[in-house]
Amino acid sequence: MPERETIYEVLQKRGVTRRDFLKMTILLTGALGLEYSQVERVRVALETKPRVPVIWLEFQDCAGCTESISRSQNPTLTSLVLNDLTIEYHETLMAAAGFQAEGAKEAAMEQYYGEYVLVVEGSIPQGAGGVYCTVGGRTALDILRETAEGAFAVIAVGNCASFGGLPKASPNPTDAVGVMELVTDKPVINIPGCPAIPEAMTNTIAHIIALGSIPELDYLKRPMAFYSHTIHDRCLRRGFYEAGLFADSFGDEGYRKGYCLYKLGCKGPTTYNACSSLKWNGGTSFPVESGHPCLGCSEPNFWDNGGFYQGQSAPLQRPEVSVVGIAAGAGVVLGAGAAALNASAKKKAREQAKAASHQKEEEKEE
Amino acid sequence: MNPSDLMRLARGPLFYFALLFFIAGMLYRLTRVVGFGWKKDLTKPKKSKIAGSLLAFVKSVIIWPFIPRVEGSLKRNLVAYFAGGLFHLALFLVVFLGAAHMLVWKSLLGFGWPTLPLPVVDWLAAAGIVALLVLFINRLVNPVLRTISHAAEYLNLLFVFLPMLTGFFLTHHLLLPYEAMFALHVLSVDWLLIWIPLSRISHFVFYFFSKAIYGAEFARRGAQP
Repeated sequence: MPERETIYEVLQKRGVTRRDFLKMTILLTGALGLEYSQVERVRVALETKPRVPVIWLEFQDCAGCTESISRSQNPTLTSLVLNDLTIEYHETLMAAAGFQAEGAKEAAMEQYYGEYVLVVEGSIPQGAGGVYCTVGGRTALDILRETAEGAFAVIAVGNCASFGGLPKASPNPTDAVGVMELVTDKPVINIPGCPAIPEAMTNTIAHIIALGSIPELDYLKRPMAFYSHTIHDRCLRRGFYEAGLFADSFGDEGYRKGYCLYKLGCKGPTTYNACSSLKWNGGTSFPVESGHPCLGCSEPNFWDNGGFYQGQSAPLQRPEVSVVGIAAGAGVVLGAGAAALNASAKKKAREQAKAASHQKEEEKEE
Repeated sequence: MNPSDLMRLARGPLFYFALLFFIAGMLYRLTRVVGFGWKKDLTKPKKSKIAGSLLAFVKSVIIWPFIPRVEGSLKRNLVAYFAGGLFHLALFLVVFLGAAHMLVWKSLLGFGWPTLPLPVVDWLAAAGIVALLVLFINRLVNPVLRTISHAAEYLNLLFVFLPMLTGFFLTHHLLLPYEAMFALHVLSVDWLLIWIPLSRISHFVFYFFSKAIYGAEFARRGAQP
């Protein structure tokens, strides 16, 4: 087998100069959250490591994460990751279609067995043998198993692929699950969000390509670089939260003054994502900044975690008045029963005492 | 099960069950106690019993907790008076005027109210925790309290202490990830809701009943409640 091209060689072929390559290296080092001293390490990696292909599969999704990544405001990095280096197969972005495209995927899987990175967008339905989502007549379940087998790592982008997302929302008619519930023998990285932040996706892919390792993950397999802080931690309205200044309804005085949106149902305190620090659209804004409470879209079960406008601390279900009535009625009935038992015991005791004293008197008389 | 699932369980079905158990349990206790009945009152009351009840009620809520004028209450156990008072005050203010707690009430009752700033709630919570610890030590040290304290009394302290401690840790992001601590906080509250009707913490209802009844009794005899 001929020696494979290194990343640098691929870039050179595409007309990237040495100067541009070094600039790219510095950018990538920064994007990976590494110190400046690590530039050298990244440069050596790019110069010596072979190009790693990415296979991007879409299952029960809306292609929103693809939309998100294709609108990344860091064009150099996105182009580096998506166009120059990696994507071998992507149903939405690639021009090819049909059996030839499938053929290309299979060829890539064979050639790069054990090396390629698999990116999954969308949840996988398990119900009825997986027939709710099929590509080319094969179920998502089947395709995922087959493609994951030869992957170096699997990246689940978006809430659907990470935790099941919208398709998994109660009552979960297709029995949808996220990737990590099906792929257990490979490293799985979750980049949840609805959609996921483009930089979180590109940078994680870049990390694997450049360093050949899996980034540090939290207990939900999310990269610590993007998911180690809550929206609340870095929120620009945090000061108002601390001071107890809240908007009580959309459009009221507190809202117009830019106060904290916690009482409008903001899920920021329990939502781990980088929205409040990286922001969206090239650092322009993020939902809380533009006046909407955080929905908690990067957390598991986010569709079933209480209403979007219900307090973050509120219980998930509020008992119906009728149910409370039944509970209260049961309490009263049991209490009345206990009281009746007490009363009868009291009466009995009184009668016994009376009888006893009667007997005593009779004995005395005798 | 990860902390996120645990949080869902604690906030969802467990809270639901605990709340219904609490409602049924408290009404059971109340009905049972009322059902004990009391002796028929054959004498003519010297003062209005309703006025006496109301006066005792108001005093028990507004005056006695804040103005230590009742004879002996200071002399007998100064620590119990001040630590106990501080604990109850802090607990009430945090539970009703903390923003996160108000949202719980709002989701259950359908209406909300203004809340205190976080630093104020935070200091009150800290004060409440310290007061509870002082009460625990007092119970261990004071010979009379120690004699009348059994497992149930110490468990009461523990089960109230747990939500307070986890709540404090939660807001300060200590020890565990936020959602894990959140889950523990809600779990401890779920358990407290079940424990209250089974224990003397039910005094939060019976206190007012006994005050009202003693008030009526005092008024009947023409004494100042």
